[in-house]
Amino acid sequence: MPTRIESADAEAEAEAIQHSLSGPAAPKGPGGDPTPESRPTGVLVVRTGLWTTVILCVAATLVHVFLVFLHVAPANTVSKRFTPQINAWVFPFFEQNWRLFAPDPESVNRQILVRTAHTGPGGAIRVSGWSDLTAVDHAAVEHDPFPSHTAQNLLRRAWSSYVDSHGGDDKSRTERALMMQKYLANIAADRVAAHKGGSFDFVQLRVITRPIPASGSAGSPPKPAENRLLPWWKVSSHGK
Amino acid sequence: MGSEQIPSTDRYGALRELLTGRPVSLYAASVLRIGYGFLYLGFLLREFPHRHEIWGPDSPWTPALARQLFAQTGWNSFLTLSDDRAWLELCYAAAVVTSTLFLLGWRTRITSVLFALVVTSFHARAIFMTDGGDNLILLMSLYLVLTACGRRWSLDARRVRVKTARADGAPQEPVKGSLVQGVRDARITLTTVVHNCGMFLIAAQVCFLYGSAGLYKVQGAMWGSGTALHYVLHLELFRPWPALSQFVDAHTTLIAVAGYMTVLLQVAFPFVLFGRLKYPVLVMLLGMHLGIAVLMGLPLFSGAMIIADAVFLPDRFYLFLPHLYRRLARRGRPTLQETAGAASVPAQAGPAPLCSSARPAEGENLAADPVGDRSAAR
Repeated sequence: MPTRIESADAEAEAEAIQHSLSGPAAPKGPGGDPTPESRPTGVLVVRTGLWTTVILCVAATLVHVFLVFLHVAPANTVSKRFTPQINAWVFPFFEQNWRLFAPDPESVNRQILVRTAHTGPGGAIRVSGWSDLTAVDHAAVEHDPFPSHTAQNLLRRAWSSYVDSHGGDDKSRTERALMMQKYLANIAADRVAAHKGGSFDFVQLRVITRPIPASGSAGSPPKPAENRLLPWWKVSSHGK
Repeated sequence: MGSEQIPSTDRYGALRELLTGRPVSLYAASVLRIGYGFLYLGFLLREFPHRHEIWGPDSPWTPALARQLFAQTGWNSFLTLSDDRAWLELCYAAAVVTSTLFLLGWRTRITSVLFALVVTSFHARAIFMTDGGDNLILLMSLYLVLTACGRRWSLDARRVRVKTARADGAPQEPVKGSLVQGVRDARITLTTVVHNCGMFLIAAQVCFLYGSAGLYKVQGAMWGSGTALHYVLHLELFRPWPALSQFVDAHTTLIAVAGYMTVLLQVAFPFVLFGRLKYPVLVMLLGMHLGIAVLMGLPLFSGAMIIADAVFLPDRFYLFLPHLYRRLARRGRPTLQETAGAASVPAQAGPAPLCSSARPAEGENLAADPVGDRSAAR
């Protein structure tokens, strides 16, 4: 049965193309059909060009949908086989990721703190106290119906991108890792300069990861927080 | 199936008519134009105090880092053409003007390209500050370039109306040569085809979004145990109203039901679009997004999703809105022309829901199509 349908489809397709090329069955545009008896070559060229473009449009649409589907779907045998084609088509403009709070939402809150160091004229190093960058973001988000991306996304995504490119340790092995380290150091330096001032030429970050207590677990002891201390990073001198 | 019952030429004729006959869902396209234009304008104005930090030369994501990343990823942005602060101010002003013109539908063909350029550039410059909402706005701005999104509820539509009103009664243009006529017809057909492909892309994109968001959640243990929303409500950067989040979180049953509903709605979304069931599903999704907007402080993200959902509402729904408005406005007064609203809008050949744009991809299933109101297209 299916083969019969397929062959009928192929036949019809050929017929449809023939029709469209020869004209009479072409759709009625708002301008109306040109009279069939007078058909100079110019018109034929226009029609051929039109229907070629139409077929290309439809083909491009279907290819796009197919490749975006493979890009969005979990890695599978088909998408693994066509990875170069998918990436060439989808990146950069159609890159997307809809794992919104999935497979599981984050079950931790991160607190990012920063301290600075300043080398004095005699070579003495003065280290500042910790200041809480995340608290500034919280304060900005609280009671704001339309929080800024600078509060909700800037530091949060910088840190997650840093972790993506570094993993568990703080050695920047790739170009991207170095870029993310520089970005994070810039954010820290800018925030300290804006909120606290003072002169400094090094920054150090500390990231405390606090698990969100499970629902209805008021009595059980909370899981311990994780504390990650990052190395000192040189930044361009501030406050001089 | 029963596909053999219909002569195949008819099926292809219908398919071709759908593709080239008329631009589908012109109202939905215009709603998307207005929606995303408005949303982006709101975003730009919201970030006005932070524009230097996000897109400027003084951003922690320095122009040098941005250019380095462009070289790796293929992105680009006109914002990194100059490291002068004045350039940012100029670009920002241009972005505000472009978004406004796009939202108003002024010379939409050109404005839509400029809008896509603006969104792409601003997105690329601050790519590590973006979230899912920004991503969706970017995709939609690209797809909208293909559509005729300025034909309804726009300054362009108003200009056409004024022009036709003036031309009324004036002598008709002389009939031009068949080649000129042919080229003109070809242009109209091509515009229609590109628009219909664009609308199909948008519809497919939204289906992929919900489908994958739902299917990835199915794999999560927290969504399965009904506690996922408890954790979401405790994310400190996404609780602008802590007391409200606390209040909602106290209702564990509600949290579990809402979590399950979220997953079910998202997974079901692509499958309900072809029937009446899509209306309650769209209403529930609207409720979900409004909840996210308020509870999590994500109005931009939620707004982008709500506007995307609007693509699935048929023209007859949008035509009903001004009609309803007029009826409400006229209430109490004697009603002379109750149907004037419906008559004053351009005729739409059998307003079919947008989901009909999905048909080019499934020509085999035409006969088994579950939607009944397609007769006009055949």
